Amino acid sequence: MRITNNMLINNALLNMSNNLNRTQKYQSQLATGKKITMPSDDPIVASKALKLRTDVAEIMQYRRNADDATSWMEITEATLAQIGEVIHRFREISAQAANGTNTPDDIDKIRTEAEELKTQLIHLANTTYAGRHIFSGYKTDKPLMDENGVFNIEISNAEEIRFEVGIGDDINVNVPGSDLFHRGAEAGPGDKSFLVDTFDKVITAMEAGDHAQISSLLGEIDVEIDNMLRVRAGLGARMNRVELTSNRLDDDFVNFTRLMSLNEDVDMAEAIMNLNNEMNVYQASLATSARVIQQSLVDYLR
Amino acid sequence: MKNTTFLGLDIALRGLYASQRGMATVSHNVDNTNTPGYSRQVINQKAARPMLIAGKAGMLGMGSDVVSVDRVRDTYLDDKYWSEAQYYGEWSVKDTILTDMQAIFNEPSDTGFAKIISDFYDTLQQLSTNPSDPGTRNAVKEKGIIVAKYFNSVAAHFDHLQEDLNNMVYAKVAEINNLADQIRTLNLQIYNYEVMGNKANDLRDQRTYLVDKLSKIINCQAYEVETGLKLPNGEPEKRFVVVISGKALVDHQHVVHLKCEVREEKLNLEDIGNLYEVLWDDGNTIDIKSGELKGYLDMRDGNDGIPAANGQGYTPSCKGIPYYQRKMNEFVQVFARTFNEGIIDVDGDGVLDKINGHADGYKLSSIEGDDPSGIRFFIMLDDEGKPMSSEDFINMIYQQAGAAGITDDSDTPYDERLVWGYSRFLTARNFCVSEDIISDPVENISASSEAGQTGNNNNLASLLKMRHNTYMFMEGSGEDFIKTLISTMGVDGQQYAVYLGIQEGIMKQIENRRLSVSGVSLNEEMVNLVKYQQVYAAAAKMIQAYAEVLDILVNRLGL
Repeated sequence: MRITNNMLINNALLNMSNNLNRTQKYQSQLATGKKITMPSDDPIVASKALKLRTDVAEIMQYRRNADDATSWMEITEATLAQIGEVIHRFREISAQAANGTNTPDDIDKIRTEAEELKTQLIHLANTTYAGRHIFSGYKTDKPLMDENGVFNIEISNAEEIRFEVGIGDDINVNVPGSDLFHRGAEAGPGDKSFLVDTFDKVITAMEAGDHAQISSLLGEIDVEIDNMLRVRAGLGARMNRVELTSNRLDDDFVNFTRLMSLNEDVDMAEAIMNLNNEMNVYQASLATSARVIQQSLVDYLR
Repeated sequence: MKNTTFLGLDIALRGLYASQRGMATVSHNVDNTNTPGYSRQVINQKAARPMLIAGKAGMLGMGSDVVSVDRVRDTYLDDKYWSEAQYYGEWSVKDTILTDMQAIFNEPSDTGFAKIISDFYDTLQQLSTNPSDPGTRNAVKEKGIIVAKYFNSVAAHFDHLQEDLNNMVYAKVAEINNLADQIRTLNLQIYNYEVMGNKANDLRDQRTYLVDKLSKIINCQAYEVETGLKLPNGEPEKRFVVVISGKALVDHQHVVHLKCEVREEKLNLEDIGNLYEVLWDDGNTIDIKSGELKGYLDMRDGNDGIPAANGQGYTPSCKGIPYYQRKMNEFVQVFARTFNEGIIDVDGDGVLDKINGHADGYKLSSIEGDDPSGIRFFIMLDDEGKPMSSEDFINMIYQQAGAAGITDDSDTPYDERLVWGYSRFLTARNFCVSEDIISDPVENISASSEAGQTGNNNNLASLLKMRHNTYMFMEGSGEDFIKTLISTMGVDGQQYAVYLGIQEGIMKQIENRRLSVSGVSLNEEMVNLVKYQQVYAAAAKMIQAYAEVLDILVNRLGL
C-alpha cells in the first residue's frame, strides 16, 4: 500500500486521541470513584444503581421509623411499668385496709394514699411523648381523661398508630387507652374508666370503713392487674418484633450498601493499573508519532 | 523529411520543458500536501511524435512531450465515501444529542430523580411517625416542591434543546443550499475549462470536497451523466448531478434549494411551537433518509413511531425529545392522579380502582363530622404560571369535561372526569404543588383518614403504599417507570456510540484508502524532483553539446 504523509499524520492523531479517550475514562473513574458517569456508559449498571440507591435510602428511612417506634414503645413501656406499680401498691394497701383490725385513723391514712395513687394513675394516663398523648389513640392532641378518670374523647382499640418498618411491614406502636384503662372495651366522652372506677369503689368503701366491701373488691383489682399484665405482655412482644426488625434492617443496610458499592464503585487498584497501562501506551504513541512524522527524504537531500 | 541543423537543439529543448513541467507539478503537489480534498497530480509524459527518416531508416525520436497533467483519483472511493458519510453524520449528531439529554436527567447522581423522589417519600415517612408535627409538614411541602421543580426543569431543558435542534435544522438546510450553489458555480467553471479539452484538476478536487461535506449532512448521490452531445475535441459532453432521494439538488447549472417552513400543526402534542418542516423549494416533500439533518430531525421529532398528532402519518421511530417529554408527562399525570385521588389499579387486573388519596384525608384541625379535605397535593400551574388551588383545578376539570362530553360513570368507583382531566391537562412543564399546600402545609396536608384525629397517619400510609404499587405503570411502580426511562436512554446512547464507532472505523478506512491513492507523499515527490532535476541537467548538457557542435559548424569551418 502506498503510504502518504497525511495518512501517517491522521493515523497518529486518531490513535493518540483514542489513547487519550481511554486515559480520560480511567482518570474520571479514579477522580469520581464511580464506574460510570452516564447511563450510556453502562445502562445495566446505571439502572441497578438507581434501584440500589433507592433501596438503601428506603432502608435508612425504615431504620429511622423503627427507632421512632422503639422510643414511642419504650416510653409506653416505662409508663406501663409505673402504672403497674401504682396498681400493685393500690392492691397492697387495699388488702391492708380490708383487715378488720385497722383503726378508723389507719384507714383514713390508707385512703389518703389510695387517693394519691388514683391521681397518679390519671396523671399517667395522660402521659405525653414529644407533646403527644400516648394513650389517646389517634387524638394525640387531647388528654385521655379528666382529673376524675372520665374519658375526654372517644377511644377504641381500633385506634392503632402504625409505623412502616419495611415494604408492606408495619407495626402498631401505641396502646390505646381503652385497652389499658377500660379492659379493652370501647369508650366515649363522659364514660368513666373501668380501672379508675375500681379505684373509686375501693376508696368509697374505705371512706365508709366497710372492710368486707374492700375485701370483696380485691378480686376486681386482680382483674385489673391481669388486664394490665396482658397489655404489657402484648407491648413487650411488639417491642421484641421491632428490635428484630431493627437488627434485620441493620443487616440489610450493610448488605445493600455493599451491593451498591460493588455495582457502581471503581476497583481502585484495577483502575490505577489500567490508567498506568494507558499512560504507557499513550507515551509510546507520542514518541513513535514524533519520530515518524518529522522524517522524510527532504531531511536527507543536500 | 530532412535532417535539419537545429533538430538536436529542439529535442533537447523538449527535454527541458518536460522536466520543468515535472518539477512544477512536484512543486504544486508539495504545496498542496495539506490541502483538504486535494489529489496529487502527475504529468502524462509521452515520447514526442517521431520523425520518419527517408530511406527506410525508420523513425527518429523527437524527444518528450507532456500531453496532460492528470489527477490521481479513484472515483469508486468517492462514491463509497459519500454513501457512508451520511451515516457517520447521522450517528455523530444522535450521539452528541443523547449525551446532552442524559446530562439533563442527571442520573446516576446525588441530585437526580431517584434521590429527589426518595427524599420526598422519606419526609412523608417521617410525617407518618409524627403526623401533627408542623416542622415535618413544612418539610413535606418543600420536598414536594423539589419533586415538581425537577420535572419543570427537565421539561424546560428539553424544550430548549428542541429549540436548539430546530435552529440546527435551519442552519443545516442553509448549509445544503450554500453547498449546492457552490457546486453549481464549480460545474460551470469546470465545464468552461474542459470544453476546450483541458482538465480542471483542482476545480474537480474542490467539487468533490464540497460533495464530501454535503454527503455528511444529507443522503445524496453525485455523478456525471453524458448528455449525448460531443465536445469540440470529440469527448462526450458531461454534466454533474447531485441527487437527494431521487430528486436533483444540482443538475449542472440548475439548482433546486431546500426550504424550512414553519409547521402549522404540531407533529407531536409535546412539541414547542414554530418547528420547521423541511421541503423542496418548489413545494415537494423530501424524504430525508440519513445524514446530520436526519439526526437533528429524528432527535427533534422522534416519538417512538406513534401516529403524528396532526394526523399525517407517523412520527420518526427514534426516541427523541418528544418521546421523553411524553413519558415525563405520563409520569406526572399518573403520579398526581394516584397521589391526589387514589385512583389506581391496586390488584393488577388492568382496571382502575379507588383507594384513599390525599384529597380523601382530613385537615389537621378538622373536627368530627367534617368532610374530607379535598386538597390535591400535586396539580398544575395556571396560565400565569402560578400554582392553582385545588378547588379551581377541580372546577376547571369538571367544566372542561362537561364541555368535552365526559361524565362520571356511576358503575365505577372513581370519577371518569378526574381521570380524563389529569391526563388532559397535567404536563411535566406545568406540574406543581397546589396553592393550598404551599400557603398552609401545616393545616392542609391531609394525613388522617378520620376527621378530628391528629395522630392518625392512615391516609399517609395509603399514600406511602402507592410508592410500591407495581400496577401504577406498565413498567411497574413510579420509580421503576423513571428507571426504565433512564435505562432506555442509556441503552440508546450506548447503541448510538457503537454505531458511531463502527461508522468512524469505516470512514477512517475509506479516508486512508483515498489518501493512499490521492495523497501527496513527500518522499515520492522528492524522488521525482531529483529525477526531473537530473533530467533537466542532462538536457541542458545536451544543449551545451549541440552548442559546441554548432560552434564548430558555424565558426570553425572556414568559408
